Amino acid sequence: MTRLRPAMTSDPAVRVRGLRRTYGRGPAAFEAVRGVDLDVPTGSITALLGTNGAGKTSTLEVIEGLATATDGEVSVLGLHPVADRALLRPRTGVLLQRSGFSGDLTVRETLRLWSATLTSPRPVDEMLALLSLEERADVRMLALSGGETRRVDLASTLMGTPELVILDEPTTGLDPESRREVWRVVSDMRERGATVLVTTHYLEEAEAYADGIAIMHAGRIVRSGAPAEIAAGYPAAISFAHVPGIPDDLAAVRGVTRENGRTTLVTDALQVSLSDLLAWAAHNDVTLGDLDARSPSLETVFLAIADGRDPGGLSPLDAPNLREGALR
Amino acid sequence: MTTLADRFSVRRTASLARWNAVLLSRNKLAFAYAGILPLLPLALLFTGERGSPGVGASAIVTMTLVVALFPVYYNVLAQFVSRRDELVLKRMRAGESRDTELLASIALPGVVVALVLSAIAVPVAAALDQPLPLNPVLYPVLIVLTLVMFTAFAYWTAAWTRNAEAAQLTSLPIILLASVGPLTGTVPDMAGWLRETLSLTPGAAMSDLVRIGWFGLDGPGAEESTLSLADTWSQAAGPLAVIAGWTVIAVVLARRSMRWEPRT
Repeated sequence: MTRLRPAMTSDPAVRVRGLRRTYGRGPAAFEAVRGVDLDVPTGSITALLGTNGAGKTSTLEVIEGLATATDGEVSVLGLHPVADRALLRPRTGVLLQRSGFSGDLTVRETLRLWSATLTSPRPVDEMLALLSLEERADVRMLALSGGETRRVDLASTLMGTPELVILDEPTTGLDPESRREVWRVVSDMRERGATVLVTTHYLEEAEAYADGIAIMHAGRIVRSGAPAEIAAGYPAAISFAHVPGIPDDLAAVRGVTRENGRTTLVTDALQVSLSDLLAWAAHNDVTLGDLDARSPSLETVFLAIADGRDPGGLSPLDAPNLREGALR
Repeated sequence: MTTLADRFSVRRTASLARWNAVLLSRNKLAFAYAGILPLLPLALLFTGERGSPGVGASAIVTMTLVVALFPVYYNVLAQFVSRRDELVLKRMRAGESRDTELLASIALPGVVVALVLSAIAVPVAAALDQPLPLNPVLYPVLIVLTLVMFTAFAYWTAAWTRNAEAAQLTSLPIILLASVGPLTGTVPDMAGWLRETLSLTPGAAMSDLVRIGWFGLDGPGAEESTLSLADTWSQAAGPLAVIAGWTVIAVVLARRSMRWEPRT
Protein backbone atom coordinates (compact mmCIF):
# COMPACT_ATOMS: atom_id res chain seq x y z
CA MET A 1 0.00 0.00 0.00
CA THR A 2 2.86 2.38 -0.67
CA ARG A 3 1.46 3.22 -4.06
CA LEU A 4 0.68 6.88 -4.38
CA ARG A 5 -2.93 7.74 -4.96
CA PRO A 6 -3.35 10.02 -7.95
CA ALA A 7 -3.77 13.69 -7.24
CA MET A 8 -7.40 14.28 -6.45
CA THR A 9 -7.34 17.87 -7.62
CA SER A 10 -7.07 17.19 -11.35
CA ASP A 11 -10.09 16.24 -13.42
CA PRO A 12 -10.52 12.56 -14.11
CA ALA A 13 -9.22 11.39 -17.49
CA VAL A 14 -12.51 9.55 -18.04
CA ARG A 15 -15.79 10.54 -16.45
CA VAL A 16 -18.91 8.44 -17.00
CA ARG A 17 -22.32 9.27 -15.56
CA GLY A 18 -25.52 7.26 -15.86
CA LEU A 19 -24.28 5.34 -18.90
CA ARG A 20 -26.82 3.01 -20.45
CA ARG A 21 -26.51 0.87 -23.56
CA THR A 22 -29.33 -1.16 -25.03
CA TYR A 23 -29.02 -3.62 -27.91
CA GLY A 24 -32.02 -4.23 -30.12
CA ARG A 25 -35.53 -2.88 -29.72
CA GLY A 26 -38.91 -3.85 -28.38
CA PRO A 27 -39.35 -7.09 -26.48
CA ALA A 28 -36.01 -8.45 -27.72
CA ALA A 29 -34.10 -5.45 -26.40
CA PHE A 30 -31.21 -6.22 -24.07
CA GLU A 31 -29.79 -3.63 -21.74
CA ALA A 32 -26.08 -4.45 -21.45
CA VAL A 33 -25.12 -1.34 -19.48
CA ARG A 34 -27.59 -0.17 -16.85
CA GLY A 35 -26.48 3.12 -15.38
CA VAL A 36 -22.72 3.11 -14.95
CA ASP A 37 -20.88 5.86 -13.06
CA LEU A 38 -17.12 5.66 -13.34
CA ASP A 39 -14.18 7.98 -12.86
CA VAL A 40 -10.70 7.13 -14.04
CA PRO A 41 -8.33 9.48 -12.21
CA THR A 42 -5.63 11.06 -14.36
CA GLY A 43 -2.35 9.18 -13.99
CA SER A 44 -3.91 6.07 -12.49
CA ILE A 45 -4.26 2.46 -13.56
CA THR A 46 -7.92 1.65 -13.10
CA ALA A 47 -9.12 -1.93 -13.55
CA LEU A 48 -12.64 -2.78 -14.56
CA LEU A 49 -13.47 -6.31 -13.43
CA GLY A 50 -16.49 -8.46 -14.08
CA THR A 51 -17.62 -11.78 -15.44
CA ASN A 52 -18.22 -12.31 -19.15
CA GLY A 53 -21.33 -10.41 -20.15
CA ALA A 54 -21.10 -7.95 -17.26
CA GLY A 55 -20.99 -5.06 -19.73
CA LYS A 56 -17.30 -4.14 -19.56
CA THR A 57 -16.64 -4.14 -23.30
CA SER A 58 -19.96 -2.37 -24.00
CA THR A 59 -18.89 0.34 -21.57
CA LEU A 60 -15.40 0.64 -23.07
CA GLU A 61 -16.77 0.91 -26.62
CA VAL A 62 -18.64 4.07 -25.65
CA ILE A 63 -15.55 5.53 -23.96
CA GLU A 64 -13.52 4.65 -27.07
CA GLY A 65 -16.04 6.43 -29.29
CA LEU A 66 -16.77 3.22 -31.23
CA ALA A 67 -20.39 3.08 -30.09
CA THR A 68 -22.92 5.61 -28.88
CA ALA A 69 -24.64 5.45 -25.53
CA THR A 70 -28.38 4.92 -25.26
CA ASP A 71 -28.32 7.35 -22.34
CA GLY A 72 -25.84 9.04 -20.03
CA GLU A 73 -22.77 11.23 -20.29
CA VAL A 74 -19.19 10.31 -21.11
CA SER A 75 -16.28 12.68 -21.13
CA VAL A 76 -12.77 11.60 -22.15
CA LEU A 77 -9.88 13.99 -21.45
CA GLY A 78 -12.62 16.60 -21.13
CA LEU A 79 -13.90 15.90 -24.64
CA HIS A 80 -16.78 14.02 -26.24
CA PRO A 81 -15.66 10.61 -27.56
CA VAL A 82 -17.58 10.87 -30.84
CA ALA A 83 -17.97 14.59 -31.57
CA ASP A 84 -14.34 15.36 -30.68
CA ARG A 85 -12.96 12.22 -32.29
CA ALA A 86 -10.37 14.03 -34.40
CA LEU A 87 -8.90 15.70 -31.30
CA LEU A 88 -9.12 12.63 -29.08
CA ARG A 89 -7.75 9.84 -31.24
CA PRO A 90 -4.16 11.15 -31.37
CA ARG A 91 -4.22 11.29 -27.55
CA THR A 92 -5.69 7.85 -26.84
CA GLY A 93 -4.49 4.31 -27.45
CA VAL A 94 -7.01 1.49 -27.65
CA LEU A 95 -6.45 -2.26 -27.43
CA LEU A 96 -9.61 -4.12 -28.37
CA GLN A 97 -10.56 -7.43 -26.82
CA ARG A 98 -10.50 -8.99 -30.27
CA SER A 99 -8.87 -7.49 -33.31
CA GLY A 100 -6.96 -8.60 -36.36
CA PHE A 101 -4.08 -7.89 -38.68
CA SER A 102 -3.45 -8.80 -42.30
CA GLY A 103 -1.63 -12.12 -42.21
CA ASP A 104 0.46 -11.39 -45.32
CA LEU A 105 2.33 -8.46 -43.77
CA THR A 106 5.36 -8.95 -41.50
CA VAL A 107 5.47 -7.64 -37.96
CA ARG A 108 7.66 -4.72 -39.03
CA GLU A 109 5.39 -3.92 -41.99
CA THR A 110 2.33 -4.06 -39.78
CA LEU A 111 3.89 -1.55 -37.38
CA ARG A 112 5.03 0.65 -40.27
CA LEU A 113 1.48 0.64 -41.64
CA TRP A 114 0.13 1.58 -38.21
CA SER A 115 2.82 4.22 -37.80
CA ALA A 116 1.68 5.85 -41.05
CA THR A 117 -1.80 6.36 -39.58
CA LEU A 118 -0.55 8.23 -36.49
CA THR A 119 -0.03 11.93 -35.91
CA SER A 120 3.17 11.53 -33.88
CA PRO A 121 4.38 7.93 -33.85
CA ARG A 122 7.31 6.57 -31.88
CA PRO A 123 9.86 4.83 -34.14
CA VAL A 124 8.94 1.30 -35.23
CA ASP A 125 12.28 -0.10 -34.02
CA GLU A 126 11.66 1.38 -30.58
CA MET A 127 8.27 -0.36 -30.38
CA LEU A 128 9.77 -3.66 -31.57
CA ALA A 129 12.32 -3.42 -28.76
CA LEU A 130 9.78 -2.33 -26.14
CA LEU A 131 7.67 -5.44 -26.74
CA SER A 132 10.60 -7.82 -27.37
CA LEU A 133 9.56 -8.39 -30.96
CA GLU A 134 12.91 -7.70 -32.68
CA GLU A 135 13.58 -11.34 -33.48
CA ARG A 136 10.11 -11.73 -35.00
CA ALA A 137 10.20 -8.45 -36.95
CA ASP A 138 10.43 -10.07 -40.39
CA VAL A 139 7.96 -12.87 -39.75
CA ARG A 140 4.54 -12.63 -41.35
CA MET A 141 1.68 -12.01 -38.94
CA LEU A 142 -0.05 -15.29 -39.79
CA ALA A 143 2.96 -17.21 -38.41
CA LEU A 144 2.85 -15.55 -34.99
CA SER A 145 1.61 -17.12 -31.77
CA GLY A 146 -1.39 -15.62 -30.00
CA GLY A 147 0.86 -13.96 -27.46
CA GLU A 148 3.10 -12.44 -30.14
CA THR A 149 0.08 -11.10 -32.05
CA ARG A 150 -1.16 -9.53 -28.84
CA ARG A 151 2.21 -7.84 -28.36
CA VAL A 152 2.04 -6.38 -31.89
CA ASP A 153 -1.45 -5.16 -31.04
CA LEU A 154 -0.18 -3.55 -27.85
CA ALA A 155 2.76 -1.99 -29.71
CA SER A 156 0.22 -0.37 -32.06
CA THR A 157 -1.81 0.85 -29.10
CA LEU A 158 1.18 2.52 -27.46
CA MET A 159 2.95 3.78 -30.59
CA GLY A 160 1.25 7.17 -30.59
CA THR A 161 2.42 7.90 -27.00
CA PRO A 162 -1.17 8.15 -25.78
CA GLU A 163 -2.16 10.11 -22.67
CA LEU A 164 -5.01 7.68 -22.11
CA VAL A 165 -4.63 3.95 -22.75
CA ILE A 166 -7.73 1.74 -22.86
CA LEU A 167 -6.97 -1.98 -22.76
CA ASP A 168 -9.70 -4.59 -23.05
CA GLU A 169 -8.37 -7.84 -21.60
CA PRO A 170 -4.74 -7.30 -22.65
CA THR A 171 -3.50 -10.51 -21.01
CA THR A 172 -6.28 -12.99 -21.71
CA GLY A 173 -4.88 -16.14 -23.27
CA LEU A 174 -1.25 -15.20 -22.64
CA ASP A 175 1.28 -17.30 -20.76
CA PRO A 176 2.40 -15.99 -17.34
CA GLU A 177 5.68 -14.65 -18.76
CA SER A 178 3.88 -12.63 -21.46
CA ARG A 179 1.32 -11.41 -18.94
CA ARG A 180 4.07 -10.06 -16.71
CA GLU A 181 5.71 -8.42 -19.71
CA VAL A 182 2.46 -6.72 -20.71
CA TRP A 183 2.00 -5.38 -17.20
CA ARG A 184 5.58 -4.16 -17.09
CA VAL A 185 4.93 -2.12 -20.25
CA VAL A 186 1.59 -0.85 -18.94
CA SER A 187 3.12 0.15 -15.59
CA ASP A 188 5.91 1.97 -17.45
CA MET A 189 3.28 3.93 -19.37
CA ARG A 190 1.71 4.96 -16.08
CA GLU A 191 5.12 5.99 -14.72
CA ARG A 192 5.46 8.25 -17.77
CA GLY A 193 2.21 9.92 -16.76
CA ALA A 194 -0.33 8.08 -18.88
CA THR A 195 -3.74 7.08 -17.55
CA VAL A 196 -4.72 3.45 -18.01
CA LEU A 197 -8.19 1.93 -18.03
CA VAL A 198 -7.97 -1.85 -18.26
CA THR A 199 -10.29 -4.84 -18.03
CA THR A 200 -9.02 -8.21 -16.94
CA HIS A 201 -10.18 -11.60 -15.74
CA TYR A 202 -7.09 -12.04 -13.62
CA LEU A 203 -7.93 -10.70 -10.17
CA GLU A 204 -4.36 -11.02 -8.95
CA GLU A 205 -3.23 -8.72 -11.78
CA ALA A 206 -5.72 -6.07 -10.78
CA GLU A 207 -4.73 -6.44 -7.14
CA ALA A 208 -1.02 -6.14 -7.95
CA TYR A 209 -1.01 -3.36 -10.52
CA ALA A 210 -4.17 -1.27 -10.35
CA ASP A 211 -4.60 1.87 -8.27
CA GLY A 212 -8.34 1.54 -8.40
CA ILE A 213 -10.74 -1.31 -9.09
CA ALA A 214 -14.36 -1.25 -10.17
CA ILE A 215 -16.36 -4.48 -10.25
CA MET A 216 -19.14 -4.69 -12.80
CA HIS A 217 -22.03 -7.10 -12.67
CA ALA A 218 -25.12 -7.29 -14.87
CA GLY A 219 -24.52 -3.88 -16.40
CA ARG A 220 -23.75 -1.99 -13.20
CA ILE A 221 -20.69 -1.14 -11.15
CA VAL A 222 -21.47 -2.81 -7.86
CA ARG A 223 -18.28 -2.08 -5.98
CA SER A 224 -15.25 0.12 -6.42
CA GLY A 225 -12.24 1.41 -4.55
CA ALA A 226 -8.53 0.86 -4.09
CA PRO A 227 -7.57 -2.84 -4.13
CA ALA A 228 -7.20 -2.92 -0.34
CA GLU A 229 -10.51 -1.16 0.17
CA ILE A 230 -12.58 -3.47 -1.98
CA ALA A 231 -12.69 -6.25 0.59
CA ALA A 232 -12.68 -3.99 3.65
CA GLY A 233 -15.97 -4.08 5.48
CA TYR A 234 -16.91 -7.25 3.66
CA PRO A 235 -17.71 -9.99 6.16
CA ALA A 236 -15.40 -12.91 6.80
CA ALA A 237 -16.58 -16.51 6.68
CA ILE A 238 -16.03 -19.61 8.80
CA SER A 239 -17.17 -22.91 7.38
CA PHE A 240 -16.98 -26.55 8.43
CA ALA A 241 -18.68 -29.90 7.86
CA HIS A 242 -22.14 -29.74 9.33
CA VAL A 243 -22.49 -30.60 13.02
CA PRO A 244 -25.71 -30.38 15.00
CA GLY A 245 -26.25 -27.96 17.84
CA ILE A 246 -24.26 -24.93 16.75
CA PRO A 247 -25.44 -22.14 19.05
CA ASP A 248 -26.98 -19.21 17.23
CA ASP A 249 -25.51 -16.60 19.53
CA LEU A 250 -21.79 -16.95 18.77
CA ALA A 251 -19.99 -13.64 19.18
CA ALA A 252 -20.09 -11.28 16.17
CA VAL A 253 -21.77 -13.87 13.91
CA ARG A 254 -24.42 -12.20 11.83
CA GLY A 255 -25.72 -15.10 9.83
CA VAL A 256 -25.62 -18.87 9.42
CA THR A 257 -26.22 -20.83 6.22
CA ARG A 258 -26.32 -24.59 5.78
CA GLU A 259 -25.74 -25.93 2.29
CA ASN A 260 -24.33 -29.13 0.81
CA GLY A 261 -23.43 -30.54 4.19
CA ARG A 262 -21.47 -27.47 5.21
CA THR A 263 -22.27 -24.82 7.73
CA THR A 264 -21.07 -21.29 6.98
CA LEU A 265 -20.94 -18.57 9.60
CA VAL A 266 -20.69 -15.00 8.37
CA THR A 267 -18.94 -12.67 10.76
CA ASP A 268 -17.83 -9.08 11.09
CA ALA A 269 -14.99 -10.07 13.44
CA LEU A 270 -13.31 -13.25 12.32
CA GLN A 271 -11.02 -13.74 15.32
CA VAL A 272 -13.77 -13.14 17.91
CA SER A 273 -16.25 -15.47 16.24
CA LEU A 274 -13.64 -18.14 15.60
CA SER A 275 -12.47 -18.09 19.26
CA ASP A 276 -16.04 -18.40 20.44
CA LEU A 277 -16.74 -21.26 18.03
CA LEU A 278 -13.60 -23.17 19.00
CA ALA A 279 -14.35 -22.66 22.71
CA TRP A 280 -17.83 -24.03 22.16
CA ALA A 281 -16.45 -27.01 20.21
CA ALA A 282 -13.83 -27.78 22.85
CA HIS A 283 -16.37 -27.50 25.65
CA ASN A 284 -18.78 -29.85 23.94
CA ASP A 285 -16.07 -32.16 22.58
CA VAL A 286 -17.20 -31.52 18.98
CA THR A 287 -14.85 -31.95 16.01
CA LEU A 288 -15.27 -29.34 13.31
CA GLY A 289 -14.39 -31.23 10.14
CA ASP A 290 -12.65 -29.46 7.24
CA LEU A 291 -12.60 -26.20 9.17
CA ASP A 292 -11.95 -23.14 7.03
CA ALA A 293 -11.75 -19.53 8.18
CA ARG A 294 -10.94 -16.74 5.80
CA SER A 295 -10.73 -12.98 5.72
CA PRO A 296 -12.45 -11.28 2.82
CA SER A 297 -10.28 -10.87 -0.30
CA LEU A 298 -10.85 -9.34 -3.71
CA GLU A 299 -11.56 -12.86 -4.90
CA THR A 300 -14.16 -13.41 -2.15
CA VAL A 301 -15.91 -10.21 -3.11
CA PHE A 302 -15.66 -10.89 -6.83
CA LEU A 303 -16.98 -14.43 -6.60
CA ALA A 304 -19.79 -13.37 -4.30
CA ILE A 305 -20.84 -10.73 -6.80
CA ALA A 306 -20.38 -13.01 -9.79
CA ASP A 307 -22.56 -15.68 -8.18
CA GLY A 308 -25.20 -13.10 -7.38
CA ARG A 309 -24.58 -14.16 -3.78
CA ASP A 310 -23.93 -11.62 -1.09
CA PRO A 311 -22.30 -13.12 1.97
CA GLY A 312 -24.27 -12.28 5.05
CA GLY A 313 -26.72 -10.30 3.03
CA LEU A 314 -24.47 -7.26 3.26
CA SER A 315 -25.16 -4.82 0.53
CA PRO A 316 -21.95 -3.19 -0.68
CA LEU A 317 -23.56 0.15 0.07
CA ASP A 318 -23.83 -0.73 3.75
CA ALA A 319 -20.12 -1.24 4.15
CA PRO A 320 -18.68 1.72 6.01
CA ASN A 321 -15.54 2.20 3.94
CA LEU A 322 -17.14 1.72 0.58
CA ARG A 323 -19.45 3.70 -1.49
CA GLU A 324 -20.45 3.27 -5.03
CA GLY A 325 -18.06 5.19 -7.20
CA ALA A 326 -15.41 5.27 -4.46
CA LEU A 327 -12.90 6.09 -7.20
CA ARG A 328 -14.36 9.54 -7.44
CA MET B 1 -15.40 24.70 -37.49
CA THR B 2 -13.96 21.57 -38.96
CA THR B 3 -12.05 21.80 -42.18
CA LEU B 4 -11.71 19.09 -44.76
CA ALA B 5 -8.23 18.34 -43.42
CA ASP B 6 -9.79 17.41 -40.07
CA ARG B 7 -12.03 14.90 -41.73
CA PHE B 8 -9.87 13.36 -44.42
CA SER B 9 -6.10 12.93 -44.52
CA VAL B 10 -4.68 12.45 -48.01
CA ARG B 11 -1.30 11.44 -46.54
CA ARG B 12 -2.83 8.70 -44.39
CA THR B 13 -5.08 7.47 -47.21
CA ALA B 14 -2.13 7.25 -49.60
CA SER B 15 -0.06 5.30 -47.06
CA LEU B 16 -2.88 2.87 -46.37
CA ALA B 17 -3.53 2.46 -50.10
CA ARG B 18 0.13 1.64 -50.66
CA TRP B 19 -0.03 -1.14 -48.04
CA ASN B 20 -3.27 -2.40 -49.56
CA ALA B 21 -1.46 -2.60 -52.90
CA VAL B 22 1.37 -4.57 -51.23
CA LEU B 23 -1.19 -6.99 -49.81
CA LEU B 24 -2.88 -7.30 -53.20
CA SER B 25 0.44 -8.12 -54.86
CA ARG B 26 1.02 -10.92 -52.31
CA ASN B 27 -2.30 -12.63 -53.05
CA LYS B 28 -1.78 -14.35 -56.43
CA LEU B 29 -5.42 -15.00 -57.26
CA ALA B 30 -6.60 -11.53 -56.27
CA PHE B 31 -3.69 -10.00 -58.18
CA ALA B 32 -4.57 -12.00 -61.32
CA TYR B 33 -8.15 -10.72 -61.19
CA ALA B 34 -7.18 -7.14 -60.43
CA GLY B 35 -4.00 -6.72 -62.47
CA ILE B 36 -3.79 -9.31 -65.28
CA LEU B 37 -7.35 -10.06 -66.39
CA PRO B 38 -8.18 -6.44 -67.35
CA LEU B 39 -5.32 -6.42 -69.88
CA LEU B 40 -6.93 -9.16 -71.97
CA PRO B 41 -9.69 -7.11 -73.69
CA LEU B 42 -7.07 -4.93 -75.39
CA ALA B 43 -6.10 -8.04 -77.34
CA LEU B 44 -9.48 -7.78 -79.06
CA LEU B 45 -8.06 -4.79 -80.95
CA PHE B 46 -5.87 -7.24 -82.85
CA THR B 47 -8.88 -9.25 -84.01
CA GLY B 48 -11.23 -8.50 -86.89
CA GLU B 49 -10.70 -5.82 -89.49
CA ARG B 50 -7.87 -3.41 -88.60
CA GLY B 51 -9.22 0.07 -87.86
CA SER B 52 -12.90 -0.86 -88.03
CA PRO B 53 -14.77 1.39 -85.57
CA GLY B 54 -17.14 -1.50 -84.77
CA VAL B 55 -14.26 -3.71 -83.66
CA GLY B 56 -12.57 -0.86 -81.78
CA ALA B 57 -15.77 0.05 -79.94
CA SER B 58 -16.37 -3.53 -78.95
CA ALA B 59 -12.83 -3.89 -77.55
CA ILE B 60 -13.02 -0.61 -75.59
CA VAL B 61 -16.50 -1.41 -74.23
CA THR B 62 -15.28 -4.80 -73.06
CA MET B 63 -12.21 -3.29 -71.47
CA THR B 64 -14.24 -0.61 -69.67
CA LEU B 65 -16.59 -3.26 -68.36
CA VAL B 66 -13.74 -5.52 -67.25
CA VAL B 67 -11.80 -2.77 -65.43
CA ALA B 68 -15.00 -1.73 -63.67
CA LEU B 69 -15.88 -5.27 -62.63
CA PHE B 70 -12.55 -6.90 -61.69
CA PRO B 71 -9.94 -4.49 -60.31
CA VAL B 72 -12.70 -2.32 -58.90
CA TYR B 73 -15.99 -4.05 -58.13
CA TYR B 74 -14.96 -7.62 -57.31
CA ASN B 75 -11.57 -6.73 -55.89
CA VAL B 76 -12.88 -3.99 -53.59
CA LEU B 77 -15.70 -6.27 -52.44
CA ALA B 78 -13.36 -9.17 -51.67
CA GLN B 79 -10.72 -7.01 -49.98
CA PHE B 80 -13.24 -5.19 -47.82
CA VAL B 81 -15.04 -8.37 -46.76
CA SER B 82 -11.84 -10.21 -45.88
CA ARG B 83 -10.44 -7.23 -43.94
CA ARG B 84 -13.75 -6.99 -42.13
CA ASP B 85 -13.82 -10.71 -41.28
CA GLU B 86 -10.22 -10.63 -40.07
CA LEU B 87 -11.21 -7.72 -37.75
CA VAL B 88 -8.53 -5.59 -39.42
CA LEU B 89 -11.08 -2.85 -40.08
CA LYS B 90 -12.29 -3.00 -36.50
CA ARG B 91 -8.69 -2.51 -35.34
CA MET B 92 -8.08 0.37 -37.74
CA ARG B 93 -11.25 2.16 -36.67
CA ALA B 94 -10.04 2.12 -33.06
CA GLY B 95 -7.05 4.21 -34.19
CA GLU B 96 -6.73 7.56 -35.92
CA SER B 97 -7.88 6.39 -39.38
CA ARG B 98 -11.31 7.63 -40.43
CA ASP B 99 -13.92 5.52 -42.16
CA THR B 100 -13.70 7.51 -45.40
CA GLU B 101 -9.91 7.05 -45.46
CA LEU B 102 -10.27 3.29 -44.97
CA LEU B 103 -12.86 3.03 -47.75
CA ALA B 104 -10.81 5.13 -50.14
CA SER B 105 -7.59 3.26 -49.39
CA ILE B 106 -9.15 -0.15 -50.06
CA ALA B 107 -10.58 1.07 -53.38
CA LEU B 108 -7.49 2.96 -54.55
CA PRO B 109 -5.22 0.14 -55.81
CA GLY B 110 -7.97 -1.22 -58.08
CA VAL B 111 -9.08 2.25 -59.12
CA VAL B 112 -5.52 3.17 -60.08
CA VAL B 113 -5.21 -0.01 -62.17
CA ALA B 114 -8.50 0.86 -63.87
CA LEU B 115 -7.48 4.47 -64.55
CA VAL B 116 -4.08 3.48 -65.93
CA LEU B 117 -5.59 0.86 -68.24
CA SER B 118 -8.31 3.24 -69.40
CA ALA B 119 -5.64 5.82 -70.20
CA ILE B 120 -3.25 3.52 -72.04
CA ALA B 121 -6.16 2.15 -74.06
CA VAL B 122 -6.12 5.47 -76.00
CA PRO B 123 -2.57 5.23 -77.45
CA VAL B 124 -2.82 1.45 -77.83
CA ALA B 125 -5.99 1.81 -79.87
CA ALA B 126 -4.43 4.61 -81.92
CA ALA B 127 -1.39 2.47 -82.63
CA LEU B 128 -3.74 -0.18 -84.01
CA ASP B 129 -5.34 2.24 -86.48
CA GLN B 130 -8.30 3.18 -84.28
CA PRO B 131 -9.35 6.85 -83.94
CA LEU B 132 -8.63 9.00 -80.90
CA PRO B 133 -11.77 9.73 -78.84
CA LEU B 134 -14.00 12.00 -80.92
CA ASN B 135 -15.31 13.77 -77.84
CA PRO B 136 -12.34 14.13 -75.43
CA VAL B 137 -14.56 14.88 -72.41
CA LEU B 138 -17.11 12.08 -72.52
CA TYR B 139 -14.67 9.16 -72.17
CA PRO B 140 -12.91 10.46 -69.00
CA VAL B 141 -16.28 11.43 -67.49
CA LEU B 142 -17.61 7.95 -68.24
CA ILE B 143 -14.58 6.30 -66.66
CA VAL B 144 -14.74 8.40 -63.48
CA LEU B 145 -18.50 7.90 -63.00
CA THR B 146 -18.17 4.17 -63.69
CA LEU B 147 -15.39 3.71 -61.14
CA VAL B 148 -17.31 5.63 -58.47
CA MET B 149 -20.44 3.59 -59.22
CA PHE B 150 -18.76 0.20 -59.02
CA THR B 151 -16.78 1.12 -55.90
CA ALA B 152 -20.06 2.08 -54.23
CA PHE B 153 -21.73 -1.12 -55.49
CA ALA B 154 -18.83 -3.09 -53.98
CA TYR B 155 -19.41 -1.58 -50.52
CA TRP B 156 -23.15 -2.11 -50.81
CA THR B 157 -22.67 -5.76 -51.82
CA ALA B 158 -20.23 -6.21 -48.93
CA ALA B 159 -23.02 -5.30 -46.49
CA TRP B 160 -24.87 -8.51 -47.29
CA THR B 161 -21.88 -10.72 -48.10
CA ARG B 162 -21.18 -13.07 -45.23
CA ASN B 163 -17.52 -13.82 -45.99
CA ALA B 164 -14.91 -13.67 -48.74
CA GLU B 165 -16.01 -16.96 -50.34
CA ALA B 166 -19.62 -15.80 -50.45
CA ALA B 167 -18.49 -12.83 -52.56
CA GLN B 168 -18.19 -15.19 -55.54
CA LEU B 169 -21.96 -15.58 -55.37
CA THR B 170 -23.13 -12.23 -54.06
CA SER B 171 -21.20 -10.38 -56.77
CA LEU B 172 -23.17 -12.10 -59.54
CA PRO B 173 -26.26 -9.82 -59.62
CA ILE B 174 -24.17 -6.68 -60.20
CA ILE B 175 -21.88 -8.46 -62.67
CA LEU B 176 -24.99 -9.55 -64.56
CA LEU B 177 -26.56 -6.10 -64.39
CA ALA B 178 -23.37 -4.61 -65.81
CA SER B 179 -22.85 -7.22 -68.52
CA VAL B 180 -26.34 -7.73 -69.91
CA GLY B 181 -26.33 -4.48 -71.92
CA PRO B 182 -23.00 -4.96 -73.75
CA LEU B 183 -23.73 -8.68 -74.30
CA THR B 184 -27.10 -8.06 -75.94
CA GLY B 185 -26.30 -4.71 -77.51
CA THR B 186 -25.30 -6.21 -80.84
CA VAL B 187 -28.15 -8.70 -81.04
CA PRO B 188 -30.17 -7.75 -84.16
CA ASP B 189 -33.96 -7.84 -84.39
CA MET B 190 -34.49 -7.34 -80.68
CA ALA B 191 -37.97 -6.19 -79.66
CA GLY B 192 -38.03 -2.42 -79.23
CA TRP B 193 -39.39 -2.45 -75.69
CA LEU B 194 -36.70 -4.92 -74.61
CA ARG B 195 -33.92 -2.86 -76.14
CA GLU B 196 -35.35 0.25 -74.46
CA THR B 197 -35.40 -1.50 -71.08
CA LEU B 198 -31.91 -2.91 -71.44
CA SER B 199 -30.58 0.49 -72.44
CA LEU B 200 -31.36 1.61 -68.89
CA THR B 201 -28.80 -0.80 -67.40
CA PRO B 202 -25.42 0.65 -66.46
CA GLY B 203 -23.52 -1.61 -68.85
CA ALA B 204 -25.68 -0.58 -71.84
CA ALA B 205 -25.18 3.09 -70.99
CA MET B 206 -21.41 2.54 -70.71
CA SER B 207 -21.45 0.82 -74.07
CA ASP B 208 -23.51 3.61 -75.67
CA LEU B 209 -21.19 6.29 -74.30
CA VAL B 210 -18.05 4.59 -75.65
CA ARG B 211 -19.65 4.08 -79.07
CA ILE B 212 -20.97 7.65 -79.25
CA GLY B 213 -18.24 9.59 -77.43
CA TRP B 214 -15.13 7.84 -78.71
CA PHE B 215 -16.15 6.33 -82.07
CA GLY B 216 -19.05 8.55 -83.25
CA LEU B 217 -21.24 5.53 -83.94
CA ASP B 218 -24.94 6.33 -84.36
CA GLY B 219 -27.13 3.58 -82.89
CA PRO B 220 -26.48 0.06 -81.64
CA GLY B 221 -25.86 -1.55 -85.01
CA ALA B 222 -23.70 1.18 -86.55
CA GLU B 223 -20.31 0.13 -87.92
CA GLU B 224 -19.17 3.43 -89.43
CA SER B 225 -18.43 6.72 -87.69
CA THR B 226 -21.09 9.25 -88.75
CA LEU B 227 -21.59 11.59 -85.75
CA SER B 228 -20.09 15.08 -85.49
CA LEU B 229 -18.69 16.43 -82.20
CA ALA B 230 -21.91 18.42 -81.65
CA ASP B 231 -23.99 15.28 -82.32
CA THR B 232 -22.07 13.35 -79.67
CA TRP B 233 -23.20 15.79 -76.94
CA SER B 234 -26.89 15.47 -77.75
CA GLN B 235 -26.73 11.71 -78.32
CA ALA B 236 -24.79 11.19 -75.08
CA ALA B 237 -27.28 13.02 -72.84
CA GLY B 238 -29.50 9.95 -72.38
CA PRO B 239 -26.85 7.34 -71.51
CA LEU B 240 -24.98 9.90 -69.41
CA ALA B 241 -28.14 10.46 -67.34
CA VAL B 242 -28.49 6.68 -66.92
CA ILE B 243 -24.88 6.34 -65.70
CA ALA B 244 -25.26 9.31 -63.33
CA GLY B 245 -28.52 7.86 -62.00
CA TRP B 246 -26.95 4.46 -61.27
CA THR B 247 -23.98 6.19 -59.63
CA VAL B 248 -26.30 8.07 -57.27
CA ILE B 249 -28.25 4.90 -56.51
CA ALA B 250 -25.05 2.96 -55.78
CA VAL B 251 -23.64 5.66 -53.48
CA VAL B 252 -26.93 6.00 -51.57
CA LEU B 253 -27.22 2.21 -51.14
CA ALA B 254 -23.62 1.97 -49.93
CA ARG B 255 -23.99 4.82 -47.45
CA ARG B 256 -27.13 3.33 -45.97
CA SER B 257 -25.79 -0.18 -45.56
CA MET B 258 -22.14 0.09 -44.44
CA ARG B 259 -21.24 -2.70 -42.06
CA TRP B 260 -17.80 -2.75 -40.44
CA GLU B 261 -17.87 -5.86 -38.31
CA PRO B 262 -18.55 -9.48 -39.19
CA ARG B 263 -21.93 -10.89 -38.36
CA THR B 264 -21.84 -12.61 -35.01
